[in-house]
Amino acid sequence: MFNWFKRRRNEDTSYETNEDWVKALSAPVDEKAVGLLRKKLIRGLKPALYKYVDRELDQFVEDVAQDALIKILDNIHSFRGESKLTTWAMKIAVREGLTELRLKKYDDISIEDLKPDDDSREVFSLSVASSEPSPERSVHESQLMEKMMKIMNEELTEKQKKAIDALMIEGLPISVVAKQMDTNRNALYKLVHDARLKLKNRFELEGINPEHMLNDL
Amino acid sequence: MELTKKIIRKLLTAVKTTKPEEIGCDDCFEELQIFVELELSGNSMQDAKPLVQDHLERCKDCKEEYQVLLAALNSLYNSP
Repeated sequence: MFNWFKRRRNEDTSYETNEDWVKALSAPVDEKAVGLLRKKLIRGLKPALYKYVDRELDQFVEDVAQDALIKILDNIHSFRGESKLTTWAMKIAVREGLTELRLKKYDDISIEDLKPDDDSREVFSLSVASSEPSPERSVHESQLMEKMMKIMNEELTEKQKKAIDALMIEGLPISVVAKQMDTNRNALYKLVHDARLKLKNRFELEGINPEHMLNDL
Repeated sequence: MELTKKIIRKLLTAVKTTKPEEIGCDDCFEELQIFVELELSGNSMQDAKPLVQDHLERCKDCKEEYQVLLAALNSLYNSP
């Protein structure tokens, strides 16, 4: 009994430093370390993800931990020791889990469906809901909207308009839009950042202050 | 894309706050473990990692990942 207790204590305390973990998770991999890390990932993921998973949380979290472990072992050489190894590993597991959930949630939504249902070849051409002044919209406001529409149509590529529509207007997750646009999250973020910069520069050139425009709307 | 007042407000706000030196999702992910440990230790992340903080305010997915990571680590490190 005493020996068993002692052995258990050793199991739980034998990977206290990052160096211990990295050594154990590098080839030849120490299966005991992998098992312990799996337990830790599951212990953190379960309470953090329960709000996002409507059924079979245990199975989902176990699958995520397993997929994350494969990535962790594959990338152990890139761990730079700037945090606890368990923090770094949990980061990988969280992204794995949330990406899986997002892709599943929006599985039946196509960003191509967001385009206007017409025969226009310019899929994401911009238009105002109505350029006519109305009781709800002053002449000045309509002019602002026309101006904005013109600048966006002149400055942005079709790809940028499509990305802005899906991300900023429809509010779809960036991982979902990236997959559908056959790119990755980082490239998509950069695409939209470039679009925002183009609009900002054009505003400056034309002496338009977005703050004033916001106040006028 | 049909521009409505609400959408234009959203776009204008995004354009107004755009900075030339923003980081992308990859750079944010690279630093997230450092950022989250600063938060867990009660230090100011804004001072230490302003570009990561800025990205998290703009990118819904990265922010969600950060919040879930924080919750997971709180459970792992702080529960008995």
